[in-house]
Amino acid sequence: MTTTETAPTYSGDIYTDAALLEPYEDYRALRELSPAVWLEKHGAYAVARYDEARAVLMDSDTFRSANGIALNEPANEAILGCTLASDGELHAHLRQVVAHRLTPRALRPMKDLVRERADELVAELVERKSFDAVADLARALPLSIVPDFIGWPQEGREHLLRWAGANFDSFGPMNERAQRAMPQCGEMAAFGAEVVRTGNVLPGSLGAGVLEARDKGEVTTEQTMMLMLDYLAPSLDTTISAVGSAIWLFSQHPDQWDLLREDPSLIPNAVNEIVRIESPIRAFGRLANVDTEIGGVPVPAGSRVLVIYASANRDERKFERPDEFDVTRRDAVHQLGFGLGDHGCAGQGLARMETESLLHALAQRVTRFHVGETERALNNLIRAFGTVQVTVDTED
Amino acid sequence: MKIEVDYKRCEGHGLCEDQAPDVFELDDEGDLIYQFEGQDVPAEHQTAAARGAAACPVAALRVVQ
Repeated sequence: MTTTETAPTYSGDIYTDAALLEPYEDYRALRELSPAVWLEKHGAYAVARYDEARAVLMDSDTFRSANGIALNEPANEAILGCTLASDGELHAHLRQVVAHRLTPRALRPMKDLVRERADELVAELVERKSFDAVADLARALPLSIVPDFIGWPQEGREHLLRWAGANFDSFGPMNERAQRAMPQCGEMAAFGAEVVRTGNVLPGSLGAGVLEARDKGEVTTEQTMMLMLDYLAPSLDTTISAVGSAIWLFSQHPDQWDLLREDPSLIPNAVNEIVRIESPIRAFGRLANVDTEIGGVPVPAGSRVLVIYASANRDERKFERPDEFDVTRRDAVHQLGFGLGDHGCAGQGLARMETESLLHALAQRVTRFHVGETERALNNLIRAFGTVQVTVDTED
Repeated sequence: MKIEVDYKRCEGHGLCEDQAPDVFELDDEGDLIYQFEGQDVPAEHQTAAARGAAACPVAALRVVQ
């Protein structure tokens, strides 16, 4: 492969309010330009095409996560050493301490509980006919499952969504949104440290497992604090985003909802398709460890690289009719919305379980979604609705 | 065509099984059973096997020619 070409420059800011609201034209322009495009405003190489995004994610020796995840230094320093922002053996070790509790294997006993909760919630909302698919549905299920699973104390739960949102905002460029977020990230870290200090977690929970690992000397106290937050912060907004987008997508594409109702075995594929077309996480960064190339474009050591999942997932080189929502799409499973490889989302088993359970419960009862008022929740990293007012039709 | 399975990496997501149930299977414990361990994948299963390998979310499956 030749590496004589240099990366073209893109002068647009892809994190303004307008760009976050309608990101897909920027992403298309980036894909058209080159496999790697220098983002002048953000000091990073954008990787917007599917093949190269996949290659970067799979080459974690060259493209490192430590000091690499966020588009700004203060955030990278703040998260240095957590599972998300570590590499190699340290990363494998940290991930092992927690991830074994999150594998679909370990989650099997949770399945009935999640199904039941989803059923109860949907039955109640369908009875009401009109509800907010974000506040009442998308947020309600993860909030009734995840904090207990992680073992988070009752006090402090009211801050979780605000903290998690701030955490994601801080990973963008140091714009106003990230600046506003930093103090709240500090609050979350302080609360996590307090939880570790007092050992105030629910018995038998993931958090209790992390404390046991510390007591056995497997992780340091500092790592324990990081691990407490590692899985809490990303486990809410992402699933909430996917469920909110799902209701909106099915309201706009009633034919796709009919397909799902006729054949509920399509639901797992539909979840992949939702995450493909409305990727909850827009992008994560990496740091090039050595002089390298991306699709033939030279990238010097020390460069920041931005892997844009939400663009790769709509790459016309990979997906036919990429802007079309199709729950029967054969290769929807290739979407990169959960990342891939060493850093592939450890909580995706739970996220899939929650989203699939809600769709199952809805498919049994709802024939049509009619959307009223909607509002986007702007975040540097997460693409999501803040409100999706919906009225549902049922068979009877 | 062979498939190399990194059992240490496998977390039991089961997406390979959805794509190729005759090739990959999760047992009752959620552990992966790969039907053609150490052998060439029979011609009639190659397309499905490759699809299953490509679906692995943690890249525990690798196609080798």
